[in-house]
Amino acid sequence: MRSCYFDNAATSWPKPRSVMRAMEAYFRRGGGNPGRSGHIKAVDAGRVVLETRELIAKLFNVRDSSRIVFTKNATEALNMAIHGFVREGDHVVTTSMEHNSVMRPLRFLEDRGARVSVVQADPEGRVDADALSRELEKNTRLLICTHASNVTGTINDIEAVGKLCRERSVPLLVDAAQTAGVIPVDVEKLSCDFLAFSGHKGLLGPQGTGGLFIREGISLDSVMQGGTGSLSDREVQPDFLPDRYESGTLNVIGIAGLAAGVRFLLQRGVQSVQKHDRELLALFFNAIGSDERIRTYGKGKASEQTGVLSLNIAGLSPSKVGDLLDRRYGIMTRIGLHCAPGAHRSIGTFPDGTVRFSWGLFTKKREVLYAARVLREIAAGAD
Amino acid sequence: MKKKRKEVDLSTLEGVITFFGSHHALKAEFVLKKNEIAAVIIPGPREISPNCGVAVRFDYARRGEAVKLFQEYFIHYEDIHHYPEK
Repeated sequence: MRSCYFDNAATSWPKPRSVMRAMEAYFRRGGGNPGRSGHIKAVDAGRVVLETRELIAKLFNVRDSSRIVFTKNATEALNMAIHGFVREGDHVVTTSMEHNSVMRPLRFLEDRGARVSVVQADPEGRVDADALSRELEKNTRLLICTHASNVTGTINDIEAVGKLCRERSVPLLVDAAQTAGVIPVDVEKLSCDFLAFSGHKGLLGPQGTGGLFIREGISLDSVMQGGTGSLSDREVQPDFLPDRYESGTLNVIGIAGLAAGVRFLLQRGVQSVQKHDRELLALFFNAIGSDERIRTYGKGKASEQTGVLSLNIAGLSPSKVGDLLDRRYGIMTRIGLHCAPGAHRSIGTFPDGTVRFSWGLFTKKREVLYAARVLREIAAGAD
Repeated sequence: MKKKRKEVDLSTLEGVITFFGSHHALKAEFVLKKNEIAAVIIPGPREISPNCGVAVRFDYARRGEAVKLFQEYFIHYEDIHHYPEK
């Protein structure tokens, strides 16, 4: 049986060989604790971390790489920004397309006195900047918006949202879990104050990596405090970056792999990744054709989404379709609600959800054509 | 990691730059070397600063250039000392 991996929105696979080589080399020859000593292994580990920060800064057009802090994933980065910034009595505006990594911290804070306004997306999963604008209040502390939906792949116009936030002096947190390394992400163009990203999806690094960009001038409390290797004579947390937000030993072996993933992307060019994803989407739409039994969600245009596509087959539950795809055809997808119940409500697929296909840099055209053929076959059998 | 450790004659480098955090120390070393200013990471001398595990020993005569580079590359340092090797 063939084996096709269409779950790159959850975690990308495979990774470039250079990622595995970098991780092995780090463990074989490096292995020290960065920022903790002056010996060669500690300094080399520090250099690995510095180099990775610089590469990510280049990718996102961040001038000062110390404004990027490493986390274990995008969820931790989002929590770091939300819990460190939103206080009791504050008002937060967000969208119905957010992942639970945004909604759960917000609902938690709501119980403790914060107020949350959720702006509904259109049935294709897009959020309107004007609708967000209408929800802003005098004491709105933060606006949180996903760059692209993990359910429909629909890309939001963050440049317009960023412009609005600048005009109204409301800090903007962008969830780039689905866009970093997939479409161009430029913190200046987006005018965001925080950007949370995952290292193991579009950036092609290993699991256990992610990060948060924090704009200069933003005062963010540290959610965790601890050893940083700096100001060791004091028992208070350092106030400078990246140390303030990086207590404890970093995942250096993961970061070494992430550096190789980002280097691979910079050499290839994110625009060429985007072009590849769009070509596959167009191919897929074309191969499904006008089969009315297959319902796709989102804008239905390759130019307005990432390589993520949700669909359903008439007469079959998403779990049944996902099970058939996996067992009978070797096609790995993600079914259900994708940790984003609000997004499924917006597109009208709550509570059953959808079957989500998500491809990546290494997905082949023939795999996409195979998936389309299989879907038509399943749809025909469901009649 | 792959490179062999180069022996540097520290006695010719009479300056020591101290930092609050190691990110800035390592970036300073990289930027100085890239601009052909001799620099080497050393364990931070406690008598100068307790702040960071590491410091940078460098060519003190070129401190003016170093400061300009630090501004250009967003490198925050604590102080620059004339501190020849004993």
